[in-house]
Amino acid sequence: MGTLTVQGLERRFGDVVALAGASFTVEDGRVAAVLGPSGCGKTTALRVVAGLETPDAGDVLIDGQSVVGRPPHRRGTGLMFQELALFPHLDVQRNVDFGLRMAKWSREDRERRVEELLTLVDLAGHGRRRMHELSGGERQRVALARTLAAQPAVLLLDEPLGALDEALKGELRTQLRTILTRVGTTALMVSHDLRDAVAIADDLVIMGEGRVLQSGALSDVLAHPSTPAIARMLGYVLLLEGVIEAGRLVDPATGAMDVPDGAGGRARSAQAFMHQSSVEAVPPGTERGSGVTATVVAARPDGPTLTLDLALKDGRSVAVRWGGGASPVARDLVELAIQPGTLRFFEVGAAAGDG
Amino acid sequence: MSFARGARDGWRWAIPALLLLAPFLLWPLGSMLWRGVAPDGVISGRAIAEVAGDRFYWGRLAFTIGQALASTLLALLIGIPSAYVFAMIRFPGRAIARALVTAPFVMPAIVVALAFIQLVGDVGLLGTLWVILLAHAFYNVSVVIRLVSGVWANLDPQTEEAARLLGAGRVATFTHVTLPALFPAIASASALVFMFTFTSFGVVLLLGAGGSFLGGPLDTLEVSIFRLATRLVELPAAAILSLVQLATTLAALTLYSWLQRRTTATFVLRADRSRPLRETSTAERALLAGVAVILGLLIVAPLAALILGAFTTGGEGAVTGANFARLFEDTGRVSYIDPLQAVRWSLSFALGATIIAAVVGTAAATAVARTKGGLGPLVDGLLMLPLAVPAVVLGFGYLTTFNRGWYDLRGSPWLLLAAHSLIAYPFVLRAVLASLQGIDPRLPEAARVLGASPWRVWRHVELPIATRALLAGSVFAFAISLGEFGATLLLRRREFATMPIAIFEALGRAGEANLGRALAMAVILLLVTTVSFLAIERFRYREVSPF
Repeated sequence: MGTLTVQGLERRFGDVVALAGASFTVEDGRVAAVLGPSGCGKTTALRVVAGLETPDAGDVLIDGQSVVGRPPHRRGTGLMFQELALFPHLDVQRNVDFGLRMAKWSREDRERRVEELLTLVDLAGHGRRRMHELSGGERQRVALARTLAAQPAVLLLDEPLGALDEALKGELRTQLRTILTRVGTTALMVSHDLRDAVAIADDLVIMGEGRVLQSGALSDVLAHPSTPAIARMLGYVLLLEGVIEAGRLVDPATGAMDVPDGAGGRARSAQAFMHQSSVEAVPPGTERGSGVTATVVAARPDGPTLTLDLALKDGRSVAVRWGGGASPVARDLVELAIQPGTLRFFEVGAAAGDG
Repeated sequence: MSFARGARDGWRWAIPALLLLAPFLLWPLGSMLWRGVAPDGVISGRAIAEVAGDRFYWGRLAFTIGQALASTLLALLIGIPSAYVFAMIRFPGRAIARALVTAPFVMPAIVVALAFIQLVGDVGLLGTLWVILLAHAFYNVSVVIRLVSGVWANLDPQTEEAARLLGAGRVATFTHVTLPALFPAIASASALVFMFTFTSFGVVLLLGAGGSFLGGPLDTLEVSIFRLATRLVELPAAAILSLVQLATTLAALTLYSWLQRRTTATFVLRADRSRPLRETSTAERALLAGVAVILGLLIVAPLAALILGAFTTGGEGAVTGANFARLFEDTGRVSYIDPLQAVRWSLSFALGATIIAAVVGTAAATAVARTKGGLGPLVDGLLMLPLAVPAVVLGFGYLTTFNRGWYDLRGSPWLLLAAHSLIAYPFVLRAVLASLQGIDPRLPEAARVLGASPWRVWRHVELPIATRALLAGSVFAFAISLGEFGATLLLRRREFATMPIAIFEALGRAGEANLGRALAMAVILLLVTTVSFLAIERFRYREVSPF
């Protein structure tokens, strides 16, 4: 139905380079999330795919066919705007209906399709309501229904949950995932929030400064970031920074750690990143402790457990879940227990890490 | 930047306006220019030298500029405190007062002139500069209030509060924070008022008649052009004056649109929330009372005098319909104008001009909205050109252009319809353009992505959203056509005389009965104008309310 391929896209606005040769592919039926800091070119990439911007160089292919020369209304792409862009002069029914009218669907087909969609997004019976009468979440769902109506080959979502408050986001993430699975359309979603990508996407595309830094299946990218910068973006925290000698990474300030397959070879500088999901603080001397110790700055309750704000020996601070018994107090010494195989090592100064 | 706005098809939307502009504005202006620089068929400086060497014309220019500056100053003096009152103070009847204060802008010049004749005729102010300044203030205070109070009400009060907390007193806050923020609005209002009063015609012609000031007649350039044009001998001189007139209005209009862009660009206005309700101080109550008295005297009193005059005769106090009955008397007279015919012609011209203005103005607004980059202001300027061309200059241009062969249209009502349409469509353009430019640019983009072609984006998204603005602009165009006096006076024929012409004819003849007829006709015109004005206010009000 729709494999989307983006090849070497370039786009500049005056002196600002928005895209500097971005390439990636979204296979038919998969949901890809583009993640990156603001200004990395992700929204521009989306607008180029939709035909709202013309690229300076590069190509956009849908099922192997270049669509760059086609105006937005002949591309078969659907775009859901971050700000939704619902038509204020039309009601829910007419908003959802819009693309179908443009495609000259018959009246009965349109009515059937709109009903189908409103049911899909859980808004059945709300067709006559106006935009200003809807809640934020309802508007979001109308925009989604409108985008899905004419069955675009590729669905584009620009920060689909961006306009919502935190409380609503969680609920709508699950809802969006369910709907996308049911529809089965190829989708490309832009987000700056990792949680959206994790909850919704199959694939992850990491962008920075107009290029694709890393892409692949969500679980692969999350587990194996290819650079320290990406690791940070995905929630990893720097634990050690030092020299690898005889199979151990030695940080003169903080401590030392075994490197799984880094034994032997010449001495080299490296960094080790840990992920909060796989680290616990335990009382010093505990068997599963890693030997790296830290000082407690504060203990904060987090649900039934505790999160400790820790100061590493070199002064950097990290937040880690408490895996021991009675709560430690400030200035206590604790040891970090790290789940085997979850540390990520990067050679400093080298382009590719060891992930 | 983006291609969803369809910058590529902008020029096509300008075609209807160009079809109207080319024959009915550019050609007459061009031919008049030619007449000025080549009075004998070959280019020579003769006419220019004649006009430039005549101290009479320099006197008229000085008077025109002087009275325009004085009128602008007076409008600002009354308008700025009034703008404060309307922007900041809540008082009972505010909505009605606001409508009342805005109404003069659509009042026909002839009605206003007659109202002031009624008001000050007995105190000997007729034929003086003062009554001209008052009538100009009547018109233009509303311009100042509209432009300044809108910005004032939407200034972020937090900037003023911040200034106060940073140690600025009331006066310092006003001079350092509020006034700089208002300056572009005040300046653009001044440019507009200067342009209106510089080209003032009907009011000066009627109120300045027979008077003198510093040894010369109370004639603005516009009135001088009219006198020269009707004498039909000194046409080159009239052409030169028209060019001076045109250059000045173009400069003022350019300044105005430049300042308008600055008003909206420089300051972040909050249109979404209105200022919190707060206590009215004693000083503010005094200001409110003062403004109420002045605006009452300036705006309500003349109209009241007009209406009172129309319903009384010969200084008797009793209310009577005699003046209206007189409209139907004396039908055998050569110059008799059937009042019902005049009403019919006025409405026909206004209706026709409104339809043309709605189509042309909407298309032109789309052309401007869809032209991106540096070209936009240029296209806007070209399409707004009719606003800068004084009506008398336009009428004069027609008389000297459409005067031979198959295009001798001097006696044709169609020529008058063209003039009215041309004068009226910029008002539709402005209203619709403001609405189009206010549309979230993502809406047309969303429509494009949903499969709409640029034409269907316009038809299904932009036009429906701009409909209210189109209605408000159209009613505005209707009112402008109803009151049009300058061009109509030059192109008038008894067979298709409009209401303003009927009033003018009646005023031109001596006798109490004729004054009564003029008053009666003016009240009818006032009534029709008021009804359309109320319609504008209604659409405008609905326009700002959320969908």
